Amino acid sequence: MILIVISGLGGYFVGVSTVPPGGEKTITLTETVTASPYKDTVIMGTTDSVQSSIDPSDAYDFFGWTVIQNTGSPLIDITPGSPAGPKDLAPALAESWSVSSDGLTWTFNLRKGVMSGDGVEFTADDVKYSFERGMKIANPDGAVVGIGYDAIIGSVEAVSKYQVNFNLKFACGFFGQLMAAAPSYIVNPRYAPMQYFRINYTDGNARASSPMDFGPYTLTSWTRVGGKDQEMKFDANPLYWNAAAGYPKTKHLVLRFYSDATTLRLAIEAGEVDLAYRQLGSTDIQSLQQKAQLKVWQGPSQFIQYLVFQQNIKPLDNPAVRRAIAASIDRKPITDVVFLGQATPLYSMIPNGMAYHSDVFKKLGDANYTYAKTELAALGYSETKKLVLDLWYESSGHYESSPDIANVLKSSLEKSGVIQVNLHGVDWPTYRNNMRAESMALFVLGWYPDYVDPDNYLYPFVNSKASWLHSNYNSPLMDSMTEEQRATADPQKRTQLMASIQDLLVEDSPIVPLFQKSNWAISKQNVGGVVLDISMIFRYYLLFATK
Amino acid sequence: MTLRSYVVSRVLLTIPMILLLLTIVFVIVRILPGDPVLVHFEKQATPAMIEEFRRELGLDKPLAQQYLDYLLGLLHGDLGKSMADFSSVGQQIFSAFPATLELSIYSMAIAVLLGVFLGARASRSYNSIEDHSIRIYGIASYAIPVFFLGMIFQLIFGIWLHLFPTGGRISLGMEPSGLTAGDFHLSTGLYTVDSLLEGNLSEFVEALRYLFLPSLTLGMVLSGIFVRLTRSNMIETLRLDFVTAARARGLSERAVLYGYALRNAFLPILTMMGLQFAALLAGAILTETTFSWPGLGRYLVDRIAFRDYTAIQGAIVFFGLLVALVSLVVDILYAYFDPRIRL
Amino acid sequence: MRGRIVVQFLPRLASLRKRGLAGWITIIGLVMVTGVVLMTLSAPWISPHDPNEIALGPVLGPPSWSFPLGTNNMGQDMLSRLIWGGSNMLQVALLAVIVCVTVGVPVGLLCSFAGGLVDKSSSLVMDSIYAFPGLVLAIAISAMLGPGVVNMALSIAVVYVPSYYRIVRSQVLSIKELPYVEAARTIGARGRSTLLRYILPNVLPSIVAVATMNFADAILTAAGLTFVGLGLPISTPDWGWDLTYGRRLLPSGIWWVIAFPGLMIVILALGFALAGEGLSELLNPKLEQ
Repeated sequence: MILIVISGLGGYFVGVSTVPPGGEKTITLTETVTASPYKDTVIMGTTDSVQSSIDPSDAYDFFGWTVIQNTGSPLIDITPGSPAGPKDLAPALAESWSVSSDGLTWTFNLRKGVMSGDGVEFTADDVKYSFERGMKIANPDGAVVGIGYDAIIGSVEAVSKYQVNFNLKFACGFFGQLMAAAPSYIVNPRYAPMQYFRINYTDGNARASSPMDFGPYTLTSWTRVGGKDQEMKFDANPLYWNAAAGYPKTKHLVLRFYSDATTLRLAIEAGEVDLAYRQLGSTDIQSLQQKAQLKVWQGPSQFIQYLVFQQNIKPLDNPAVRRAIAASIDRKPITDVVFLGQATPLYSMIPNGMAYHSDVFKKLGDANYTYAKTELAALGYSETKKLVLDLWYESSGHYESSPDIANVLKSSLEKSGVIQVNLHGVDWPTYRNNMRAESMALFVLGWYPDYVDPDNYLYPFVNSKASWLHSNYNSPLMDSMTEEQRATADPQKRTQLMASIQDLLVEDSPIVPLFQKSNWAISKQNVGGVVLDISMIFRYYLLFATK
Repeated sequence: MTLRSYVVSRVLLTIPMILLLLTIVFVIVRILPGDPVLVHFEKQATPAMIEEFRRELGLDKPLAQQYLDYLLGLLHGDLGKSMADFSSVGQQIFSAFPATLELSIYSMAIAVLLGVFLGARASRSYNSIEDHSIRIYGIASYAIPVFFLGMIFQLIFGIWLHLFPTGGRISLGMEPSGLTAGDFHLSTGLYTVDSLLEGNLSEFVEALRYLFLPSLTLGMVLSGIFVRLTRSNMIETLRLDFVTAARARGLSERAVLYGYALRNAFLPILTMMGLQFAALLAGAILTETTFSWPGLGRYLVDRIAFRDYTAIQGAIVFFGLLVALVSLVVDILYAYFDPRIRL
Repeated sequence: MRGRIVVQFLPRLASLRKRGLAGWITIIGLVMVTGVVLMTLSAPWISPHDPNEIALGPVLGPPSWSFPLGTNNMGQDMLSRLIWGGSNMLQVALLAVIVCVTVGVPVGLLCSFAGGLVDKSSSLVMDSIYAFPGLVLAIAISAMLGPGVVNMALSIAVVYVPSYYRIVRSQVLSIKELPYVEAARTIGARGRSTLLRYILPNVLPSIVAVATMNFADAILTAAGLTFVGLGLPISTPDWGWDLTYGRRLLPSGIWWVIAFPGLMIVILALGFALAGEGLSELLNPKLEQ
């Protein structure tokens, strides 16, 4: 009672219109009391879980990155809601930056006075340490190696206390976007010793389970039961460099892990959580759209799926065969039936909405059986002598609806009359193993961008030195074009190269893009700040729930 | 033979059985196709990386050495390290076990109560329609896949009627924490017990609400055998002379039924509970998956998808030890109640 | 020695109908099983549509005149999928039972007839496997072997071999001591012919009863393995798969994708279980009716 009176008086004295109920805070007359219209706690639900760790040198999964990006800060950030182009970079831990004229040196001027959770000021040494750690540890499973940081960054110098230089190996056009990606987030060196392969989950000790600091949130609790993530709790970091602007909007976040899409759906329907994000099934999304008490958020997604040909297995080494197969695919049942219209067909490895995208695979078309039959007939395939293919898919739920997609592919390829498809489903670990063993003739994979640049949808796939597909596609022309486009500063040249690359992509058809999926979230009506943009960074610090 | 010597001989017999089980599991995990280590690396793994991983898990030692380490480790209660994040498998299993234990207890209770009740009724109305339909139920409940029954219950009671939750163990924030008195803390891991220890009635009710459908499902599927057992046992007993004598003395039908006949059926039912324990665990795996119940069954299923061989091995060994322990206890109890068996 | 088997078996079969409830449930069970098997075998002719055809009907359409059992999320006709769907399961069950019988029965006969250490050690092994939760072992073996009809059948077979072993062994032990077997031995009959002439025919009826129950168990275990994700590749329609997949549709109130396949599994398993129960009661009557 007395507290209410005091807070009332306090509010009066500093001219505030509303008084927070309860008044648990001790209020002095000199403090600015801003009444928050937002609830203190928001509860989120997800079916994701941390795949290996939340260590930037190691994590290479969407959810691991999300936690990193909400408990840490990068040098440069991408403006929320923007198309994530080179003009949409915003200062984060770096107040400003400049690029040398030859594009080989990036200089960052760091924000001053940013304190870590253990009371040490953020300096250039932290930046140097973070990047060197990632590249030295060289975890082959980690993002730093996976993306190829050491192919881009030559060295990192701490020029002065608040200035860092990155000396690049080539004039990388998308370096800015790369600095905004999760592996580029700055760690707290005292919680990320160099000798550990990665910072692992430690039961009962959230601080020891993560090397992150300087972010809008601090991970204060992380529980696992039976080896499965149960719950994570995030508290607003009072030392966050952007706290003065009111971020994060919600003081406490609770993230609850659900075992599958069905339980998550039931949870959001029953109001057990305020927000559900990843992964809800297409049927669930469609049925929840009818519920008046829920809000459905949709955003562009950069998640794509594509078919890969193993060129070590004959006759897949023949581009004519690959083109014939590509032409026989019918994308419509995938997007309309499997995903109920929540996905769009994709005709290039560069997704719709991204720079340089061009619908090149429309040249081969969908269910183009006349073309396929002619091409295959020239090689001796007919109704009596069919082309027999083994199509593999992952069956453990790593991607949504993989078996259905495989079924559609089988059905559309067989409709040509000259192809026979045998389906093989294996779980994700076996799938990965098979990829490395190069034993799968045709297989489907998915991809999220590491950084928002079309380079990330081409270079790691069709460049024979960088490709992680083990598909044995080797085209010197493609190699040189992909290398040139990532090093060129001339926008016209890049456009030209990208067009040629995509044309060659159809010509050679080493991989066939299938579809692109939208990004969905479902929340209660009073939840806001759910920004689903092209960067695919899910920013907890923008979320709020009104009272 | 005295009870004590019976117990000793029974325990001694259990040891080779357990050893055999452990060896079978060890062999299955190590000998069958697929390299567990390679499966864990997504992209190119350097040989150094693979060696490090192998060393961490003790897979670089010769097979015989691994076997000995494995057995010795088990004696200390060390079930190895999970291949997913190197945390202790034993610790993971212990955190998941109470959920399965709670589900098992309630399911077995429902199975026995339902089975005995129906079996007794059937024996009373021998050869009638009621008897026949109960007997059919006894067989039918066994033939229905437990997860199908679970889904039907979820659909009817959860989704259409909104009476019970369809998944999970309890709603957010309502986990009971047991008894805390100063520095002393006691929690069993069983939510129904812990909530009472804590004195929180609403948590107790919530825990029961979440328990209801899964344990009803599993209980019904297991009840069939108890129906048949009770029925046949009581029919036999009801014919015995001493029962006729009791009836002649004018005791009511109910006293006859429950006084003598049921008491006679007690021992076989107890034995059957022990025998059904293995089936209970098997059913629990499917029930936990259906109802997203965070127990050991679901742990095993998850670890399989992860190809976490140490965890799979640890979970199977744990199941086996549990079954061996329960059958040992049941046998001893039986011997205690019926001295004839000790001969 | 066919005469012996016939002499022992036929009267029992003929008395099926006279045996009251036990007889009836055996017949009903066999009829159910035969019905399902016939339906599956005649699928190519009686199925109204191609069960694999995508977008044949509306996505997730409820039962209607054109699609009496509704359609699933791929627009496939559930009725056609129902008619075709038993094939995987029946194949796996049949293969599992064949393996079980060909391994369990000879091992049981030989080991228990041999007696001594062989008998004791094989008993120990079999008891260990028998006592263990079957599904757990099947899951472990199936996970290691990988997907496939043969692999699934093998995983199931390993779990059920001990049942055959035990029943054979108990029969052998009791028959071994019977006077006429002793007599045969004294007049010089060798072990093997004793086994084949005297013991095997007497053991056969029990094996039949166990095999029938084994079928039921195999079907339920196969469904269980599919449910935990260790099922067969999905190019052929399969009740277990529809049941597993349909689970995620329940919260949206879509009940027909799981209800009918589930019902079929129940009918098939129940048929075998009824037949098995009936047979075992006929062959080993416990209660005087």
